[in-house]
Amino acid sequence: MEAQPGIAIRRALVYVGLTLAAIVVLFPFFWMVITAVKEPGHAFTAEVLPRHPTLDNFRRVLSDFGFGRYFLNSVIVATTAAFFATLFASLAGYVFAKKKFFGRDKLFGFLLASLMIPGMMYVVPQFAIINAFGWMNTYRAMIVPHLANVFGLFLMRQYMMTIPSELLEAAKIDGAGEWQVFRTIMVPLSIPIIATLFLLTFQFHWNNFLWQLIVTNVERLYTVPVGLALFRSQHEQSYTLIMAGSCISVLPIAALFFFAQRYFIEGMTMGALKG
Amino acid sequence: MTKATAARGALRAMMRTAPKAMVRTAIVAGAAALLLGGCGGGREQATLTVWQTYNDEESPVFREIVASFEEAHGVTVEVVRLPFAGAEPKIQTALTTRTEPDIARVDVSFLAKLASKNALLSLEEYVPREFREEILPVALSSCVYDRQLMGLPDQTNGLCLFYNRELFRQAGLDPDRAPATWDELIEYGERLTDADEGVFGIGVRNSLWWSLPFFYTHGAQFLSADGRHCRLNSKEGIAAFQLKVDLHRKHGIEGGAWRSGGIQNDLGFQNGRYAMILNGPWAVENLKRTGIDFGVGLIPAGPEGSRTNVGGNNLVIFKSTKRPELAAEFLKFVASEEIQRMWATRLGQIPVNVRAMDAITSEEHPYLAVFAKQMETAIARPQTPYYPEIENLMNPEMQAALDGTKTAKEALDAACEEIDDLLAGE
Repeated sequence: MEAQPGIAIRRALVYVGLTLAAIVVLFPFFWMVITAVKEPGHAFTAEVLPRHPTLDNFRRVLSDFGFGRYFLNSVIVATTAAFFATLFASLAGYVFAKKKFFGRDKLFGFLLASLMIPGMMYVVPQFAIINAFGWMNTYRAMIVPHLANVFGLFLMRQYMMTIPSELLEAAKIDGAGEWQVFRTIMVPLSIPIIATLFLLTFQFHWNNFLWQLIVTNVERLYTVPVGLALFRSQHEQSYTLIMAGSCISVLPIAALFFFAQRYFIEGMTMGALKG
Repeated sequence: MTKATAARGALRAMMRTAPKAMVRTAIVAGAAALLLGGCGGGREQATLTVWQTYNDEESPVFREIVASFEEAHGVTVEVVRLPFAGAEPKIQTALTTRTEPDIARVDVSFLAKLASKNALLSLEEYVPREFREEILPVALSSCVYDRQLMGLPDQTNGLCLFYNRELFRQAGLDPDRAPATWDELIEYGERLTDADEGVFGIGVRNSLWWSLPFFYTHGAQFLSADGRHCRLNSKEGIAAFQLKVDLHRKHGIEGGAWRSGGIQNDLGFQNGRYAMILNGPWAVENLKRTGIDFGVGLIPAGPEGSRTNVGGNNLVIFKSTKRPELAAEFLKFVASEEIQRMWATRLGQIPVNVRAMDAITSEEHPYLAVFAKQMETAIARPQTPYYPEIENLMNPEMQAALDGTKTAKEALDAACEEIDDLLAGE
């Protein structure tokens, strides 16, 4: 009992520290929201809180600039791409982690080496392929080239290697087939890493600007980052519109983090095997 | 209990909690999206394709121009609006697969790059001399690469001096009169500056483009006539840059807007921190909305008078076009007197056609009239495909001089030496 005051003080300090950190992290979001409700031209004036708050920026962004359509496009592209990239990475990760075949480690090393190539190098060859397929101006063009994700494979393999092989053997004794083993053991046990990878790939596709712009020549297929960039012309930025658009654009990411959080915590507390 | 049986127990527990429904929904959604993707293609065949980078206010006006062109020529023009920030890489990528449009709107410096890569159609035989004489000379010269006309301007601009009339009044200065010379600007600046209050006479940006009015008013050349040597470290160039450095270091009337992390000059102007800044006509509308009382004057005169540099955008035609005559007609249509008059009055921009200049009256467009006048003594940038690289070499050196770690001469000499290497390494 005598140690209590010390702990209380330490705890108070931790809370103060965390609160300060939270303020630092949240300030840009605060600024984004208050700028989004300011009148055009007042983005950088000395008033911290808008004198005449308005929802007009949101109205203009959604109705005059078709942001709803961009948002829908982004949702379709990011969800589909993240889902399939995660699926393929976990299938491949399972094989690389748990199956033995000729040249496995060499092949894995070779795939890893491809991470050294900067992403920008792929843009032109990938675009040439997409164009040869006649896929310009399709969702396919935005989604398919990014489905094979070596980083995701690496992440999944490393995690799945930590899952004891005894579990797989046990399932096989129970008569589970290959697909069932994957679906009922590997996937549920890997949920924390699957959630992480889904989130990372979703975020990547949600923010992807250049590729989505390059493969689309029609405004109705533009995604959110391309739509946001339209508010920036050569010399000036419509900050209030950009911030209103940004408010809308962070919603899915924020929601995803909120829901995925559960799995991160679950992953740390889940103990499947003892003794 | 063996390991295997323990594992089986755990496994059964997990099978119950597997988020099956979630996975199933995701598969359905994903498959639907891939199918949906199929209907993105298929649009009607256009006779001309134009990639443009106009902003929100300009785009609808441009669409009207296109519509009247379509009507006049009985053709279809497909217009794609690109964000300015991604237009260059998109055009470059398209060129590698020959999927570029017929016409694109490009920045002055990008035109030189495209022309140097032999991607553009020369307009020498498509644009007659009489028509060229209608175009503002500085704007037209920004379309000339290697003595060939490679495009037509659709928009032009330069810099002027913006000043805060309220701060002028408070300092006892005439709010209707901008400083006419650099000496006068220093004098004004000393009266306007109140460093303790964080108010300064002027805020200046660091980059080369924003420094060109200093150089040009002192008669300094940017590149030698053959485009192979940097001339900014000439006697005139050093004097010009010394003036810019002195505004901050010697006279203390410049507030450090060039510093990374300093109050950026538009921002400082809006908040009354900087009484004067250099800026272009694009800033006028936004500043009006902030409600501050401001005026626009000519660039203060140096030994060579009042001079600005020129920016803007040009329309270019790619070599691969199947309809060169029609494409050239489109360019001439956009730069024509009638369209430019409409463009200038509707959007408050400087027309590229000199015959439309009278549309800018000082009664209706008081700010723009000053810009239009400034364009008469504007100096075009030399055409070099390396302009962005030159900026990258010049800017850190100029920053060092403003910081006081180098003298103006040392900084310009060092930058010019590197630029000469760049230009020689062709």
